[in-house]
Formats: sequence, C-alpha cells, structure tokens
Amino acid sequence: MSEKYIFWFEELGQDHNDLVGKKCANLGEMAKLGLPVPPGFALSVKAYEDFLERTNALHEIRKYLQRFSGGVESIEQFNEASKEIRQIIESKELPDPMKKTILSYYEDLCERCAVDVAVSTRSAGPASHPGQYETYLNVKGKQDLLEKIIKVWASSFNPRSLAFRSRKGFSLESDPIGVAVLKMVNARAAGVVFTADPNTGDLSKMILEANWGLGESVVSGELVPDTYIVDKETLRICERKLGTKQKYVTFRELGVVEQETPLHKRSAFCLNDEEVAEVGRLAVTLEKHFGVPQDAEWAIDEDFPFPKNVILLQTRAAVIAKKKSPVDQVVDMMLKRL
Amino acid sequence: MLLPAYDLSFYEFDEENDPKSYGVLLCDVVHGKPPLKPLYIGIGWYWYYHAFRYAPETLCLPTTHGWDSRFINGYPYITTIKTTEAEAKQREPLFRERIKPFIEDFDGIWNQKKTELMRMYKDAKESRGLKAWEDIRKLSNIDLLSFFLDFAFIINRQEAETHMIMMTASSYINGLFQQLWHEIFGTEAPIDPTFNKLMAGFESQDVKVVRRLWQMGRRAVESGLGEVFKIGDNEQVMTTLAKNKEGTKWLNEYREFLLEHGWRCERMHAYDTPAWIEKPSLGIKQIRMLITKDVFPLDAEKDRVMEERKKTEKEVLAKVPEGQRDAFKLLMGGAQKSGYWSEDHTYFCDLYVGAIGRWIMTEYGRRFAEAGCIDHPEDIHFLHPNEIRKAAIPMGKVNLRPYAERRKKAWEESLKTDPPPFYGDITQAQSVLKSDPTLSVSTQIPIVREELKADLYGAAAAPGITEGIARVIMGADKLGEIKPGEILVAPGTSTAWTVAFSIIKGLITDGGGALSHPVIMARENGIPCVAGCLEATAKIKTGQRVRVDGNRGVVYILDK
Repeated sequence: MSEKYIFWFEELGQDHNDLVGKKCANLGEMAKLGLPVPPGFALSVKAYEDFLERTNALHEIRKYLQRFSGGVESIEQFNEASKEIRQIIESKELPDPMKKTILSYYEDLCERCAVDVAVSTRSAGPASHPGQYETYLNVKGKQDLLEKIIKVWASSFNPRSLAFRSRKGFSLESDPIGVAVLKMVNARAAGVVFTADPNTGDLSKMILEANWGLGESVVSGELVPDTYIVDKETLRICERKLGTKQKYVTFRELGVVEQETPLHKRSAFCLNDEEVAEVGRLAVTLEKHFGVPQDAEWAIDEDFPFPKNVILLQTRAAVIAKKKSPVDQVVDMMLKRL
Repeated sequence: MLLPAYDLSFYEFDEENDPKSYGVLLCDVVHGKPPLKPLYIGIGWYWYYHAFRYAPETLCLPTTHGWDSRFINGYPYITTIKTTEAEAKQREPLFRERIKPFIEDFDGIWNQKKTELMRMYKDAKESRGLKAWEDIRKLSNIDLLSFFLDFAFIINRQEAETHMIMMTASSYINGLFQQLWHEIFGTEAPIDPTFNKLMAGFESQDVKVVRRLWQMGRRAVESGLGEVFKIGDNEQVMTTLAKNKEGTKWLNEYREFLLEHGWRCERMHAYDTPAWIEKPSLGIKQIRMLITKDVFPLDAEKDRVMEERKKTEKEVLAKVPEGQRDAFKLLMGGAQKSGYWSEDHTYFCDLYVGAIGRWIMTEYGRRFAEAGCIDHPEDIHFLHPNEIRKAAIPMGKVNLRPYAERRKKAWEESLKTDPPPFYGDITQAQSVLKSDPTLSVSTQIPIVREELKADLYGAAAAPGITEGIARVIMGADKLGEIKPGEILVAPGTSTAWTVAFSIIKGLITDGGGALSHPVIMARENGIPCVAGCLEATAKIKTGQRVRVDGNRGVVYILDK
C-alpha cells in the first residue's frame, strides 16, 4: 500500500471525483475556495478496494454471489444478500498499515480542532447516488471511527444499492466509494438550500429549508421544515413559511437521536434573517463557481459567532424541473398568491 | 330576524345567521348608492348575482364559490362564499386549464364575446322590427311580453355570464400582476407612475364614443352652429337647431349616431334614468362640455402616451429577474388587455343591456299607467318581473298599486339613510376580499392611518397631490354642474361620467377598488384620485377646499 489513499480536504478539488468520490471532491473544492467547511479528510476509492481485497472479503463476496448467477429476483433475496455480504465485510479488521494511517490523520484532526472531535463518516461515490449509502453521525474515538468507516463501505451492499446496481445491469460484487470524515458541527439548526426553484425552474430564487438540530431531519423529508424563498440577487427573503417541525435530530452520547421538538421551538423560525442571507450568499457563490444550480447542505454551528457559524456540509448539482411554460408559471403564481 | 328586501326573499338578510356564516358583508356603494329600485334588483342585479357564482364556479376559482349578496335597508351587501381546503385542492387543476386561455389571449376571447353580445342585441331588435326608441310602442301586448321575457331571462343572463367570466379573469390577471409588481419593484402598483405608463393609452369603446361626440361638436362649429350650443338649456339647443337647415342636417346626423351609440342610460345599473337615444339632449350636454376644445382632450397626448408605454415596457422587462421574465411579459400583456377590458366592456355589457331594459320597462310603465294598473309610469320601477307578467295580459285587469306603494315607501326610507359600510366582523374583511380579488371592483376597506390626521382615508388610487374646490355630484345627470379645475366628489363613477375626466383636477370617491371605472380613468388622465373613502359624499360639501393626496390615499378638508 504505497499509494496515498487519505487526503485532507484542502488537497482535493472537483477534478478528484474518481479518486475520492464526488462528495469529498466537492468538499475539497469548497475548502480550496476558502468557503466554510468542517475540517476533515477523505478516504479514497482505492482504500475501499484495497480493504476488500486484502481482507479477502472480495473473494468471499464473489463466492457468495455465485448463487445469484441467474439474477436476483425478489426483495427478500436482496435483503438476504445484503445481510450476508455486510456481515462478511463488517467481520473484517482493517489491515494494520491502513489503520495506522487513518488514525494518524484522525489525531491530526483532533489536534487541529484542539479537542478530541466527534466526526461524521459519509459515503462518497464517484457518481452521485444521494441517499443510497449510509452516513454515521457523532462518531467518537478511534475504535468507533474505524468501525464506522467499515460500515460505510459495507453500506455499498445495502439492499437499495444492490437493487440499483442490479436494475442498471452493473456488477453486484462491488461499488467502490470514498469516505468523508469530517468534524461534527454542533448544529443549532441545519438544512438544505436549492439555488433555483426545483418545481418551477425559476432561477431567480433560492429555496432554503431548515429545522432545529442536525440537517438529517430535513434531508429525510419526513417533516415540514421552515421554508424561505430568497431572491438570489438581493438575498432578500421574499417569502417565509413556518414549518411544523414536529421532530428534530440531536446528539446522543454516541450517535444521534430523533426527538419531539418542544412546542415553543415549533412555533419559532429556526434561523434569523442574517443567517438566511449568509446561507444564500454562500449558495450563490457555489452556484457561480460550479456554473449550475446547486443543492447544498449547511448547518449553523452553536460554537461560533455569526457569520463564522454558517458551515457548508456538501454541495452537488441540483436536480430541477424543466422550466415550465410562461403560462403555467403565471397560473402557478396565481395559485400561490391569490 | 329576516330583514325584508322588497319581497325578494333570496336577498333577505338573516341578522343572526348570515354574519356567522359569512364573517362579514361589505356594502357595495359603487353600484348600490343611491339605493337601487326593486325592478332593477329583480332583473339586472338578479342575473349579476347569478353570474357572480357562475363565473367562479365555471373557472373553478380555488378560493371561492363566488359572491353572495343581501340587501339591508335597501343597500346591497356582498361577501364571498369561501371554499374549504379540500375543495381548493380539487379545483386547482381545473382552474389551471380554464384560466389559461384568458392569460394567453384575453383580447381574442373578449372580441368574440362582445361580437356575440352585439349580435344578440341586434337580433332582439331586428326580429321584432324595432330600430328607433319609439318603435317599441308598435308592439302588441304579447310581443312586448315576449320581448320582456327574453330580456329578463335570456339577454340579461347571457350578458351577465359573459360579463362576470371576463371580469373574474381580468381581476385575477390584474391582481396577480399588481402583486408581482410589488414583489419585484417594492411599490404599490396603482400609484407607481411607471405602472401607470404601462397601463395607459389603450382606447376603450367609450372613449371612441366620446370622441365622436367631440367631432360632432366641431362639425357644428364649422357649420356655424357653435353659438346655438351656448344656450343654457339642452332641450332648447335641440329646438333651436331644428329651426334652420344646417341645424336640421346636424340633428339628423346626431340621431343616426344615437341609433348606434345611444344605448346608454345616465345611471348604469338602473332602469330609472333616461337613455341617450330616448332623450337626445343628454348627449348635447356632453357635446357642450367638449365643444370648445380644438383637440379631443384624450387625444392630445395619445401618441406620446403610447410611445412612452412601449418604452416603459422595455425598461420594466429589463429589470425583471431573468427567470421570471417570460412569465412576467405574458402576464403584463394580459394585465394591460384586461385593464383595458375594465373600460371597454361597459359599452357592450352594462350600458347596452341596461338601455334595452330601460326601453322595455318604460314602455310597460306607460302602458300600465294608461291601463290604470299603476298611478304613474315611474311606479313600474317598484314592481317585480312576475308582477309585470301577471298584469301584461290581459292588460288593465290587475291592480299593481299595492306592490308599488309599499316598496316605494321602503325605497324612500332607504334614500334617507346612509348605509353602514359593513355588517359582521370587520377583521375578516381582508380575508374575504383576498379570497376573491374581483370584489375589489365594488368595495374595499380603507385603512385609517391616524398619524396622517386626514379627514378621509381611502385607497391611493391614482398618484399626485392637488388642491381645489370640491364639487359633490351624486348622479351623471348633474355632471353639467362641474366647472373646470374642480375636484369631483362622487359615490363612484361610470362610463357616463367619462366626459368629466377631461375637466376635473382631482377625484374622491366613496367606493371602488383598483379596477373600478373612476380609478382607471383617473390614472389614464393623470388625475390624483383617492377611492373607497366610504363617506366622502357625506362629509364633503360642494364649495369646500379640499386636498387630494393620491400618493397616500388621504383627503384633507381645508376649510371646515
């Protein structure tokens, strides 16, 4: 393992998709631009491949998959295959040199942050498959970190990834991904920002969705977050809608937990206007830099004063609806306003 | 308790339940003051109120099933019938499909519909061999009755349905445009000079008619008849003209004009004021107000206004964010056309159908009085359609006096009272108005801003500040009293008042929202206007000096 397979975000850029996966490459690009991203490092795709090969996991997986040579037929089979393969992977130990390198980066990260940081480990495929693989939040300590990295790798064999690969006619035996390890943001509130109206294709407005706590509650789409529509040019809030925000995601000793939102927090907006504008400003910077509308995640860190508390967690090209015809746009506006 | 409404039970106000189910009912002072008479309420108003549901239901407006109306002490009150959230969801996709053609081609739809209306009026006359006003006297009782029934149940219905479909679409398009304007430019559209430049310079049918009057005035001057028009009395002008050859020639031409364009009454929503074709001196009065002008006042700056509009269109579009530009452009075109419609339609809708009504009702008044069913021809206005049918054949057998007498008494009582602006919970007014932007044509609630220490609060309807002598005018028949440079104070205005806009300096009205006639005409003519003051005609006296602040929507009475 002479090849370098761990990189600080600062060492990466958007050209490194294939090396470390899209999420890591974009985090690197943002870090290079001087945008506020949490400090952290990325494990390359090669690390995944080496791990599977050196631990003999790949061989075992291939052997196991032989029984499905005629194709996987049912959801139960996907579930079963996933369980078996993940067990294979998760039963393996990281080879020593690999372990040593990862831990030395982790120690450096703790030193940079002056504390033993909690991190999140996030998957990063070379192609964007949002929501397909696992993310682990509030990971603490060396042992936990190493376990979670392996779990992220194993998640490339979760049932939906297997089904996806099967449907697309890709090989089931592996789907190399990178892993991002980044300092956990002590999020007071978090969410997503779209630098276009995803429904109308209106490029003059941004949509922010936000909830208390960590951004996972917003990403999952299971509750109604606060929504802001922000003018891209002036960063003025054109419209704000209070969400019901029934639940929010917060820290446990280890990992995170979803909790009922206290009533007084449900009835209050979770961002103030300057924070909305700052998220908007960062998002516009991203869009300008990447040249296409962006779909970014962000968080407000309780440990920093404004504007340093507004942190970007990831960004990718936004999937937006094809622009509607003018008359449909007019009717949309009528329905919304009158 | 149910309050009586001239025996029209569907208009009776349930004091206990109605405010509960509707929240609030707002007085329609624009159309209902001075109080309407029962005959009109039972025919013209009847179909408008059918159409106030027909249009929202046909277009599937998501927020409302339409308006409801009650009469309280002789004054009309209106409110909306809101939809539930579930209904709104269901209606949205249908609304989407049905409103689209209006956004895309408002003009095309209107041109077709107004042609159909004109054909209907023409057929109604020609199929009965009618052309001039007196011709109706020749109809047999049964032919007159069939004309009456056609009018009451077919002609009025088609006019009302056409009218309200167009009006509802127009209000939605305009309402959205004004709101979007506010979002993009941060100003209130009606008092933003840029907005007014965009909306100006579309020539309505009514302006065309007034121009014809002006032309006829010029022709009279050219034929050496100018002096005749200086005679104080309009009837006398006519008799003097008839005395010489040039004058007779001019009168013949004028009568031809009236056969085509004289189908308009002094008061738009009523059968109790004369039509021009019935009383040609009404037009003479208007010609007199215009005769001294070398150029038709509204033409003086027409080219400049149109140029400026085109220039403004380009400038405005350039300022609209790119993502919205195409939609904005389409909407702007729709708003211009539908704003113009607000002016154009009165000729083809309210005025024409009202004049045909006046024609038939006047003839029935004459026949019933002659046959002894009523005392005076004018008593016809206190009857209902079914009573007219009851007494029409055989003529002279039915005594209609009891109906007429008791309703006349009730009407005279109403005339003495000033209607309260609303019944129910006024805090719900905004939500009622919001659920149907069409309502703002008839009514809106002024916002009282104490800090301005004004005497009247209304809507800032046309920009500018001006001071002058007030002239309170309650009906179009009194328009001749206005002197150039005065400030007109009126309950509302209709097309019959158009001519006044060429001489007044400012305008204050009791009723009317951003799309109502006075507001549009004031904007078009650059006259500061405060609309919807509710009690302007009650508080201001003719001769008082007033200041009209059309930027902030307030009026000051300077010598109290």
